Amino acid sequence: MGSNMNDMKSLQETNLDEEGDQEFELEDVDDGDEEEEVEEYVTLGLVEKPKNPKFLLRHLFPSKAGGVPAWLDPVDLPQEKSRICGFCGEPLQFLLQIYAPISEESSTFHRILYVFMCPSMSCLLRDQHEQWKRREDNPCRSVKVFRCQLPRCNPFYSSEPPKHDGIDKPLTVGAALCSWCGTWKGEKVCSSCRRARYCSEKHQALHWKSGHRNQCRQIVNYSETSSSSPDSSSNRLPAVGKVACSTLWPEYEIIIEDECAFDTEAFEDNNCATSLVPKNMKTDDSYQFMLDKLEADEKKKTWASFQERIAKCPKQVLRYCRDPKAKPLWPLSIGCPSVANIPKCNYCNGPICYEFQIMPQLLFYFGVRNDPDSLDWGTIAVYTCSASCGSSISYKEEFAWVQLYPTAPMT
Amino acid sequence: MAERGAGDRGGFGRGFGRGFGRGRGDRGRGDRGRGGRRGGRRDEEEKWVPVTKLGRLVKEGKITSLEQIYLHSLPVKEHQIIDTLLGGRLKDEVMKIMPVQKQTRAGQRTRFKAFVVVGDTDGHVGLGVKCAKEVATAIRGAIILAKLSVIPVRRGYWGNKIGKPHTVPCKVTGKCGSVTVRMVPAPRGAGIVAARVPKKVLQFAGIEDVFTSSRGSTKTLGNFVKATFECLMKTYGFLTPDFWMETRFSKSPFQEYTDLLAKPTKAILIENTES
Repeated sequence: MGSNMNDMKSLQETNLDEEGDQEFELEDVDDGDEEEEVEEYVTLGLVEKPKNPKFLLRHLFPSKAGGVPAWLDPVDLPQEKSRICGFCGEPLQFLLQIYAPISEESSTFHRILYVFMCPSMSCLLRDQHEQWKRREDNPCRSVKVFRCQLPRCNPFYSSEPPKHDGIDKPLTVGAALCSWCGTWKGEKVCSSCRRARYCSEKHQALHWKSGHRNQCRQIVNYSETSSSSPDSSSNRLPAVGKVACSTLWPEYEIIIEDECAFDTEAFEDNNCATSLVPKNMKTDDSYQFMLDKLEADEKKKTWASFQERIAKCPKQVLRYCRDPKAKPLWPLSIGCPSVANIPKCNYCNGPICYEFQIMPQLLFYFGVRNDPDSLDWGTIAVYTCSASCGSSISYKEEFAWVQLYPTAPMT
Repeated sequence: MAERGAGDRGGFGRGFGRGFGRGRGDRGRGDRGRGGRRGGRRDEEEKWVPVTKLGRLVKEGKITSLEQIYLHSLPVKEHQIIDTLLGGRLKDEVMKIMPVQKQTRAGQRTRFKAFVVVGDTDGHVGLGVKCAKEVATAIRGAIILAKLSVIPVRRGYWGNKIGKPHTVPCKVTGKCGSVTVRMVPAPRGAGIVAARVPKKVLQFAGIEDVFTSSRGSTKTLGNFVKATFECLMKTYGFLTPDFWMETRFSKSPFQEYTDLLAKPTKAILIENTES
């Protein structure tokens, strides 16, 4: 084995007995997990069925996924152009919202980020190409993120925290929402009954076909006979009923957990395992070639470290870290944005930074079908204005980056 | 709601984000007082939340056997898929743990490379290698990698087709580096005639009788084992007369429904572009 030892120096292995003067090649195989990277303080979001849908109303500042959004600013909702998919023109569907205040500033005492996306996979595939375009080319997107923030004293909610005793109320009534999707502002009105409101013609047509045709007449007759108009104060509490649309994603509450709370007690007893190591500790060149071939390559390494990280808490659907040095956890090594791909803030032209990412486990909880054309993503990373700028618009658009699994098989 | 120490937020929820300063070592509990592991070993399979579409299909139960995955050459990215499909039949064995060292200013830094082979002794084997600072971590990682690399092994007969297949269907050879391994069908009762390490791999594969012949520097056990593995992979690649019938292609779970597949033809001769 003596002569083989010299050959082996290039194989980056060395015998323990050898004395130190020689130059050793640094092992550059998979050093990623050797450097103890300072792990950022990541907060995870887990979904859970709410104990009571009333807990998810807007005056309780919820973080939720699926169902309808709980608009923070109930009046100045996003306009026509921002709420439709850039490819198919359908109004976007609500994915999730998170309550992410920034305590350092007073203008961001309340701050909620909303994510909407088109449920069609073909639009998402086209969106993947659009996100690479620069902002000047006006890319159309099918995934949109809105940010809304309010100071503590605002005309919509009390400055005192809600007591969660079932009788909290917001200060004002919100704008009327679409009767079909319950998501967007219902600007258009049904011409016959004048009660049902819609955000777009498509939703009006859908609602008409699926039952409003029968109810419309009844509503007209009922309102003629009843004398009093409904009392506005009793309507201050938003309705908790189901909306007419049945294809909305199921509603969940997002529970917040810290990732460090899931760190395993990995100090397992190593004694039994080390007995497997041969006593003489002589290195064996025999395995070197095999190890070179069987060890993972770059793509697999990214995937392996992704899996390892989420294995701490397999149920996570959201990873949040607003640190300036934070980077999202990418499942794939291809399709990651570089610094040049991240545009500047639309409103203040300042830099934008990564804030949170949505994980594919959410698809499992939503019960998305697994047909060839159903929704699937690797991860969606959301970048927001570093300064969380304010402007006259209530709901400011932020940047989302989608990473999809490749459709061709990976070799 | 309890007064969470959210500083000047009063009783408002903390929401996402740090809220009140750096909580680096602070094991903050969630608003509902949840958190921390429920101690002990969890049931891995119950807690598995699939991340890929294939994983979701397997968890739903739409895919019931590994063969459906092999048929369409779908990449398996989650080891729990193999766990669900092969279940308790999968056995694993650590073949070798080897310490490797890197020279640093403060001495040598030793890590352990674990080499694991998994298999149900009925036609599926996998090999995995992982390097880590602790032996247990390396073994665990290697088992996961081995499960991801499970391949099907074809078995056949030496002579009369009586009973179950017990040997390789034909003479096959695999090569890695300078080592070539040749496997030759053997009659029942011959046993596995091979060196110690490939014998283990063949046992896991479920081959009962085989003659082997090797050439090259078999002292390089790494190449030797890999050559055996390649050889096993080729058992399903060999075109024997039973495969002469034209294939009737079926729709992969990921493929878009094409018109060509819709036509009721006896045999479809086009290239099936798989996802």
